[in-house]
Amino acid sequence: MATAPILIGLRPEDNLALDRSGHLGRRRAFDRLVGWLLPLLFLVAILPIAWLLYYVGSQALPGFTLATLTTDPSGATGGLFAPLVGSLTILLLGTGVAIAFGFLGGLVTAEYLGEQWAGWIRITANVMVGTPAIIIGLFGYLVFVIYFHWGLSLAAASVTLGVFMTPYVFRATDIAYGSVPPHIREAALGSGARPRQYLFRVASAIAFPQVLGGIFLAMAIGVGETAPLYLTTTTVVLPPTGLFAPASALSLYIWTGFQTGLILPTAIRLAFQAAFLLLVIVIGLNVLVRVIAARARRRLEGLFQ
Amino acid sequence: MNAIASVPTEAVVSVQDLTVTAGARTLLDHVSLDFGARSLTAVVGPSGCGKTTFVRSLNRMTELTAGLAVEGSVRYLGQDIYDAAVDPVVVRRRMGMVFQRPTVFPMSIFENAAFGLRLVHAEEDLVDAAVTEALQRAGLWDEVRAELDRPALSLSGGQQQRLCIARALAVRPRVLLLDEPTSALDPAATQRVEATLQGLKEEIVLVLVTHNVGQAARISDRIAFLHSGKLIEVGPTADILERPRVKLTEQFITGRYA
Ligand SMILES: Nc1ncnc2c1ncn2[C@@H]1O[C@H](COP(=O)(O)OP(=O)(O)OP(=O)(O)O)[C@@H](O)[C@H]1O
Ligand SMILES: [Mg+2]
Repeated sequence: MATAPILIGLRPEDNLALDRSGHLGRRRAFDRLVGWLLPLLFLVAILPIAWLLYYVGSQALPGFTLATLTTDPSGATGGLFAPLVGSLTILLLGTGVAIAFGFLGGLVTAEYLGEQWAGWIRITANVMVGTPAIIIGLFGYLVFVIYFHWGLSLAAASVTLGVFMTPYVFRATDIAYGSVPPHIREAALGSGARPRQYLFRVASAIAFPQVLGGIFLAMAIGVGETAPLYLTTTTVVLPPTGLFAPASALSLYIWTGFQTGLILPTAIRLAFQAAFLLLVIVIGLNVLVRVIAARARRRLEGLFQ
Repeated sequence: MNAIASVPTEAVVSVQDLTVTAGARTLLDHVSLDFGARSLTAVVGPSGCGKTTFVRSLNRMTELTAGLAVEGSVRYLGQDIYDAAVDPVVVRRRMGMVFQRPTVFPMSIFENAAFGLRLVHAEEDLVDAAVTEALQRAGLWDEVRAELDRPALSLSGGQQQRLCIARALAVRPRVLLLDEPTSALDPAATQRVEATLQGLKEEIVLVLVTHNVGQAARISDRIAFLHSGKLIEVGPTADILERPRVKLTEQFITGRYA
């Protein structure tokens, strides 16, 4: 049974259009402002990067051919085969080191350690992220080059870069496993999963994309780092012949290229080409991180409510 | 006050003097209760009275929370599940648990249902058959049979909850513990889960925690009323609803409970 509405004369507040207490005008003005401001800020952020890409590209691309990628440097001319191979080899070996320590460390910290130990390790990782890369390089020089007698070598450079990348992988792993919802953990253990089965079958399915993203991010940060390599390897014109032979790297090449360039202008072109290659690799890795994150978001949608 | 327990002829689970403490707090106080085959017992009581603690102590999930101490005994087919020789993992495989919120894993519908079987490395043919059967018993089969490879997270909340029931059923447990399984579901989904549970009680022991006396009235054969960690009264559903012996029970049932 519907009750009849009680209407005893109209009151002022019954007129909706006259009620200004919601400040609709002010809200609209604010929305318009934000609508202008955001694209502007986006432009401010993107412009330097776009300009950098354009400038480096304009210096590097004239004369950039397939041969640039496939021939070794000779003097201040030639291609970038040796530093490209060197950079990628150092990056891959370094990533291996970073995964071995960062992933295992993150897993143990998130899953097994008590709050206090975990806290100390997290602080250590944060300090490592904040440590100037040249100090990591100095550490690598003292420990691997001198103490272990590895010399200026692929091995010393890779492990040092690995040390540099480790805290990034550690953080991603720690956060990824730490963010698995507790009710999912309870459900898995409550279904009779052993702790290790929970870890590998359930937690890893949730954490893996984030860990992978962290690894690629660490690679993107590490591939262009010059300081960890500066004291641990040296620029050579041929690809590395063994673990304990020196390996050239694109980042080092940019640096020496510009120095030599003061005397030999062609070296500058080569340095720009190395810089361009690095930028392409870094941007590629970052795009990969985005793609992984977006796919993971889609796959895990609804899990974290 | 003594609990008035009806003793089933053959107890699948027998709880004796179960006391759970967290430091100085007593969460459960000398609870004794038997669960016979083919029964659906509703555990009701005001918020914070210990219902969740009770069902969790039945399959040793209390051990997943630091700081809880369990005394007394819980016997599963006559064996003390808290015995040092008994592996808690094995206990949980015999007595499954379904929670308040759906807890599907980020895998396909099939793999979710097969989860418990994968843990014991069951053979592939066996897994296929058991998953089909579990989904049928959980009342989900007709809705998902065509798309078992779909991600389970894309199901609706009610479907996810029935998938969790299927996951628990696939390992053929004798006991299923349900902690407010419908409190996050809408009425239609609740009705489907209730129908599922009603079908299941012909086969296994169901222990259903619910804050909803109406739900207990609809599907349980027996109601156990908990208050401040004590088992106040337990008896056939109709008796508890119509002729409670204890004032506290009556107050709770009639909704006059403060
Ligand atoms: N680990 C713990 N340590 C200390 N106290 C706890 C712990 N777990 C639960 N409690 C307390 O024990 C009491 C019983 O909790 P429990 O979760 O079993 O209640 P419940 O009947 O399931 O309540 P609800 O209806 O709200 O789900 C509550 O007062 C709660 O605060
Ligand atoms: Mg509860």
